[in-house]
Amino acid sequence: MQRTDLKRLNDADQLIREIATDLGLEFMPQEFDVVPAQKMLEIMAYRLPVNFSHWSFGRDYEIERTKHEHGYAVPYEVVFNSDPCRAYLMDTNPFPIQVLVMAHVYAHNDFMKNNRHFQNSRRDMITTAATAAERFRGYEEHYGIDAVERVIDAGMAIQWNIDPTEHIHRQSEDEVRQRLYGWSRELAPSGPYDDLIPDRPKPTRNQKRALQKRTPPEPTPDLLGYIINHSPRPLEEWEKDLLSVIKSQAQYFLPYRQTKIMNEGWATYWHEQIMQRLFQKRFLTAEEHGYYNLYNARVKAHHPRNLNPYLFGYAILKDLEDRWNKGRFGPEFEELTDAYTRDQWDTGLGKGREKLFEVRRTHMDWFFVDEFLSREVVENLDLYLYLEREHPSYYEVVVAETEWQKVKRILVQSLMNSGVPRILVTDGNYRNSLQLYLEHAYEGLPLQDEYARKTLELIHYLWDRPVYLETNEPYNDKTRGKLYAVDESGVHVRTE
Amino acid sequence: MAVVQPDYSSTPRGKTDAARHRRKVKEAIHRNLPDIVGDEAIITRKEGQVVKVPIKGVKSYHFIHGQTAGEGGGFGSGESQRGKVIGRRPKQGQGQGGKPGGEPGTDYLETEIDIEEIIQMMLEDLGLPNLRRKEVRETVIPKGWTFESIERSGIRPRLDKKRSIKEAIKRTEVLIGALMEQTGRAEEECRRALVAAKGDSGVARELLQSEEPLPDTSDEPEYLLESDDLRYRTIREDVEYQSNAVVLAMMDVSGSMGTMKKYFARSFYFWMLSFLRSIYRTVDIRFISHTTEAKLVDEYEFFHKGESGGTKCASAYELACELIDTEYPTSRWNVYPFHFSDGEDWDPDRTVEAAKTLLAKDPAALGYGEIQTEYSASVLMKALEQGLRLQTYQNDGFLHYEGTVNQTPVLGVILRTRDDLYPALRTFLKPDRV
Repeated sequence: MQRTDLKRLNDADQLIREIATDLGLEFMPQEFDVVPAQKMLEIMAYRLPVNFSHWSFGRDYEIERTKHEHGYAVPYEVVFNSDPCRAYLMDTNPFPIQVLVMAHVYAHNDFMKNNRHFQNSRRDMITTAATAAERFRGYEEHYGIDAVERVIDAGMAIQWNIDPTEHIHRQSEDEVRQRLYGWSRELAPSGPYDDLIPDRPKPTRNQKRALQKRTPPEPTPDLLGYIINHSPRPLEEWEKDLLSVIKSQAQYFLPYRQTKIMNEGWATYWHEQIMQRLFQKRFLTAEEHGYYNLYNARVKAHHPRNLNPYLFGYAILKDLEDRWNKGRFGPEFEELTDAYTRDQWDTGLGKGREKLFEVRRTHMDWFFVDEFLSREVVENLDLYLYLEREHPSYYEVVVAETEWQKVKRILVQSLMNSGVPRILVTDGNYRNSLQLYLEHAYEGLPLQDEYARKTLELIHYLWDRPVYLETNEPYNDKTRGKLYAVDESGVHVRTE
Repeated sequence: MAVVQPDYSSTPRGKTDAARHRRKVKEAIHRNLPDIVGDEAIITRKEGQVVKVPIKGVKSYHFIHGQTAGEGGGFGSGESQRGKVIGRRPKQGQGQGGKPGGEPGTDYLETEIDIEEIIQMMLEDLGLPNLRRKEVRETVIPKGWTFESIERSGIRPRLDKKRSIKEAIKRTEVLIGALMEQTGRAEEECRRALVAAKGDSGVARELLQSEEPLPDTSDEPEYLLESDDLRYRTIREDVEYQSNAVVLAMMDVSGSMGTMKKYFARSFYFWMLSFLRSIYRTVDIRFISHTTEAKLVDEYEFFHKGESGGTKCASAYELACELIDTEYPTSRWNVYPFHFSDGEDWDPDRTVEAAKTLLAKDPAALGYGEIQTEYSASVLMKALEQGLRLQTYQNDGFLHYEGTVNQTPVLGVILRTRDDLYPALRTFLKPDRV
């Protein structure tokens, strides 16, 4: 890229910053690095500008590269929740696309600065990952690539089995025990409704004695953390380091997963607003406007086999803004049966923008979709649930459900816990012999069997003693219990 | 400035890790050979087509939700018509259905692979790396006599006149050159002198040095043969090297042979042919289907048509004998008769006799595959076991029979499920058998 272009990009940056501020966005200092395509694809595959080596990143790099080389051109954007906020631009993109990405990034920046789920992230993750990568290379040299890889394989398998709210109540096992003894309270009494919270029944002597030995003292979703701290293998320090880095990166990326639809919808909503202003100001030419339209349409395209978060989040936000502008919410509106009145309903409330800013501060996808996905959006987007029908040598993908309430119910269910099955560690000393007992908090969806087996094998590699997983599965219109047991001889399954 | 262009000329780690991933894919293919071998897509592929093989084992595993058994699902947008088919997805080997979770495209991987590559891997698996045995597998066929070399001595009838005259010309020209050098006379004078001297270079030199006029030699022959010039041919027996194999594919097509059973046979023949092609220069296959009577059919009929009626396996072996006698003499062809049946033979004793007759014709190997189901009344394998004194072997739950009759290896395999296919092929392909 030539200097002049860089100058024009800086002009664009300045202008976008002014417009975004004027529109009410509020962001951390923003930095853009212009990088070659290969570096861009690498960052996308490795999830961070510099990260440790692993074949799965290599695989993703190859997938990205193939897509890129086959002209599956999208306005690549990568932005990190760091302070200052770091984003990357691909040097081969045409200028209007760079501007589009920059506008988009400023909105992400605003979202990450203000959404409460991003508030506990390590905003130094870029440098942390780079130094970890350096350490990992040392481990590879010292302990061998294969040994390092096996631990990373296992760690990545359970990277999402962490406690999403760990930052709120980080407690040691002893602290948890004390809380359970009733010696300390989980939350200091501070609200007007505190008297409504029932006191926990005081544990008996025997219960206390049992509690003293039980580990974890209460079931925890932090499987990865539990293994790091309690594996009887035992884990070497370098192995713990590998796993801890994986855990901290998972924690860092968790808010992205939890807010993917909102975050992309938000950025798309705002880049359109900002771009409009730029065109009004004649900063971009008519030809560049054409480019922008083409790419913007690609960003918001329908995807037949997955929900495009850019389109979906954008549609809900637009709808939300419209509804709060016109007062189309609340029982008075919801209970309207006359289609015409419903269609024409407008109280002139004018609180659309205000509502948008409020929602971006408090929500994550699960609640966002549950609360705000309306019949109009489902029907305007022609949202559907598809299923795969089995044929002798292939699966046929069929539109199975379009009725808005059914589609919404299943969609919301799939967003719960950002789609990760909740696995709880209930006993780390099962049968008093350091065996690991896990329970799947079954909520109607069974575990995918092949993936469960392979994941359990990887957990067993880290734990080294037998590992059990209790779950349920649908069986003849009912539910039956299912127990996985893993030891050196492999995975065994017992059903009730 | 907030927009900068830093220098990124560091080493591309994406490529290194991608290479590691590719290596893992290859290992995974290796591990999943039994699955891949049974994959229908490979066997039914068109000539020269690359096969896409779904790979298990290079996915990133984690706990994910599954849908109800056999169904994958998800959400999409832009389509309002219920029941509309919006796409297809090929099956992943024998794996469970169901798209794993919310990351489409990253976990589900397909790779393209050559049949040759798969075969090479199978050979490695068998401990036969880089099997290049086309030369070893050659058959010698006498074709009378041929000349071998040229010698200075021999018998009159094998005198090579042309070569002898060439030698004379060569010698004469060398002598003329020497005379020119010694006497300083022109080439034509030297030639005339040499002819006049009847080839004796000493006399010719004297003639040239005497300064007398040279005699007219226009009637004399220009070149004279001497005994040194004579060359004789030697001969040797002529043979032709051929490397031919023929598979005599025999199959029971009686009513009890269902589609699945035929599929096993088909897969087995497919791989057998692919292997033999990597070893022999020419590989033929002839199809013999039989019920109570055997007949030669084409490939399509062989695999697709069934007939009602009883089963007399002997008829197929008898027809195979006939084919060897008329078209594929074992002196020129490596004959691989292989028979598939569900073993419900009406007259197993006669089949054993027919098999013995076939073995007496010295085929390269004889194979019998029995496709058993829980309900089949299989008698043939037992009969062959006793009649040909086969030994049973069992490894990893796979049962097979082996023996040798007149130094010809005899092999019996029992196929029950698709998983038996690979061990059956392994057994067939043991180094000493092919």
